Amino acid sequence: MEYFIQQLINGITLGGMYALIALGYTMVYGVIQLINFAHGEFFAAGGYVGAIALAYFAGVGYMDSHPVICLTASFLIAMAYCAYLAVGVEKIAYKPLRKNSRLAALLSALGMSIFLSNGMMLTQGVYDKVYPGELFQGRFDFGMISISYLQIMIVSLTAILLVSLNLLVFKTKIGMAMRATAQDKTMSALVAIGSNRIISLTFAIGAGLAAAAGIMYGLYYGSVKYDMGFIPGIKAFSAAVLGGIGNITGAMIGGLIIGMVEIFGAGYISGEYKDVFAFIILIGVLYFKPNGIMGENIDDTRV
Amino acid sequence: MKKRIVSILAMGLILVPFLVGGVCAKTLTIGSMSPLTGPYASDGTDIKNGVLTAISVFEAAGGIAGYDKIELSAQDTACDPRQAVAAANKLINLEVAGVVGAYCSSSTIPASEVLAEEDIIMITPASTNEQVTDRGLPYMFRMCGRDDDQAPAAAKFMKESLGAKTIFIVDDKTTYSQGLADGVKKAAIEMGMEVVNHEHVNQGDKDFSAVLTMAKQANADIFYMSLQGYSPAAMMTLQAKRLGMESQIVTQDAVFQPKYMEVAKEAAEGAYLTYGFTDETTPEYKAFEKIYVPKYGKIAAYATYAYDSATALLKAIQAAGTTDPAKVKAELMKLDFQGVAKHVKFAANGDSGSSYIAYKVVDGKFVPYWEPIKGLIK
Repeated sequence: MEYFIQQLINGITLGGMYALIALGYTMVYGVIQLINFAHGEFFAAGGYVGAIALAYFAGVGYMDSHPVICLTASFLIAMAYCAYLAVGVEKIAYKPLRKNSRLAALLSALGMSIFLSNGMMLTQGVYDKVYPGELFQGRFDFGMISISYLQIMIVSLTAILLVSLNLLVFKTKIGMAMRATAQDKTMSALVAIGSNRIISLTFAIGAGLAAAAGIMYGLYYGSVKYDMGFIPGIKAFSAAVLGGIGNITGAMIGGLIIGMVEIFGAGYISGEYKDVFAFIILIGVLYFKPNGIMGENIDDTRV
Repeated sequence: MKKRIVSILAMGLILVPFLVGGVCAKTLTIGSMSPLTGPYASDGTDIKNGVLTAISVFEAAGGIAGYDKIELSAQDTACDPRQAVAAANKLINLEVAGVVGAYCSSSTIPASEVLAEEDIIMITPASTNEQVTDRGLPYMFRMCGRDDDQAPAAAKFMKESLGAKTIFIVDDKTTYSQGLADGVKKAAIEMGMEVVNHEHVNQGDKDFSAVLTMAKQANADIFYMSLQGYSPAAMMTLQAKRLGMESQIVTQDAVFQPKYMEVAKEAAEGAYLTYGFTDETTPEYKAFEKIYVPKYGKIAAYATYAYDSATALLKAIQAAGTTDPAKVKAELMKLDFQGVAKHVKFAANGDSGSSYIAYKVVDGKFVPYWEPIKGLIK
């Protein structure tokens, strides 16, 4: 039982990070029906900016006196940077192709992904960038079960971000405009919703969440690396598909499921096939529900 | 139309360096193969830097008679067997005089088959799998040690020095890591230790919490990590400590990288690893340090071995006065010099001997701790 609970905690931590990344895929898909393969790179870039910001704060000595402020500031800086980066990528790589076939934009996204990841390699080097180690060390032990402060921090921050995104999309005017654009661009333009602005905003929010996941990832695993966006990107994409691509709640659920299945597959059956379990679940769900778990009411709630 | 002509001319300019280069200088080209992109890019870059250092030392000493300069063609294998084969073919087209590489055993083995068809000398600075030299290729050499020496040394260390009775083994399924893990398992069982579990993770994984929870529950004396590269090893160490795993961590040569401690920080303290013994007090090491460190930073894993490999190759070419592989091989076999990483002397099968000892991480540094014959090192 203790073993089960420990693995459950591991799964929730990992799944939460996947969910944050998956949201970006699903939101962008909802609005412009594009699978933004460069999204994993926003996640990596967020991790890097966070590392640089934290290293700066540690360097000037604020880290010891005001750790919470420094951490919050790092999160905000990274999220803002990645939002800006994503808007730029959209303007350069996707917007000119919006009227072409979807395949053109998809290829452009793949190219952007390679470009960004190699750009990070060239500017930041091939070695791991290390996160300052003093943050949130320590853990609670309950018998065999241990929960680290970091896990608590990550899970609660993920929850806050997910709830606030839900509020934004479903309770505000901006959210309403996003949902309207997702349903029908022409019609929403007729009621004075600028679709370009909404698309930029969608990219910005998605990338901001990915950046937050990037910092959490860096804190949790101790370092970031230029190629770190690829595999979590693929997993998060699968999570988005699993939950029903275009559906926000679906992406959150999908992320958690993929994270849990991976951990339980590795913990109970074998570590070498953990990716296989995740994809078996994906195939199984898509076989019975081709639109994904939350896919049926796709026209009402997608963003 | 005009635009097209301009662009064709512009494309033509790309060829200029090749034309000019071909006419005016006689260049000795050697190749290197290592992962310059992908998860092992850092280790691959160390190898490239080691070779570049060797070339610069040779050039500073007047170069090789008959050649105006020595050039390196550094190929990226990405630790991918297919890309390694492509890189080998590229080096064949460039007519290189010899190759230093590759890093991953799984790249070295197929690439060496390709190079062997053209009788090109290959010296691997880092591939420790037995099969690298056991296939009987005439032009395959190895500067580092062998896994079938490393595995028993590691098992002996765990039993004699750490008094271990139970071991939990993890590998990441590469030719290198799995070969070594299997070797350690075999040796450990022969020595009467119990292997409680042998688990696998995937290359590129960052989250090891599932497997570590398993290991924590098994609570073996030793947690043996057989991973390709310092980066996953550092992450695994960090996560293991965070989870409160109490087994002693023991790992191997691929982790011998100062970055391991930088990433894993305090979690790395007290970890052991086996690595070929390098005497850091030799004048050769000191001289290398003086050139390498200001240019490329800390000396890591296989930079020294790559330097020795390139030096051996260049020395042999110099002595042979030609790049004819048979003659260069004859000179390579005659070599007997103190390199930076080790004393270089090749045996008939291309190996140059192993000297595995155990290092311990103390205050963020690898400190020689134990050696198979005399035991603890003071």
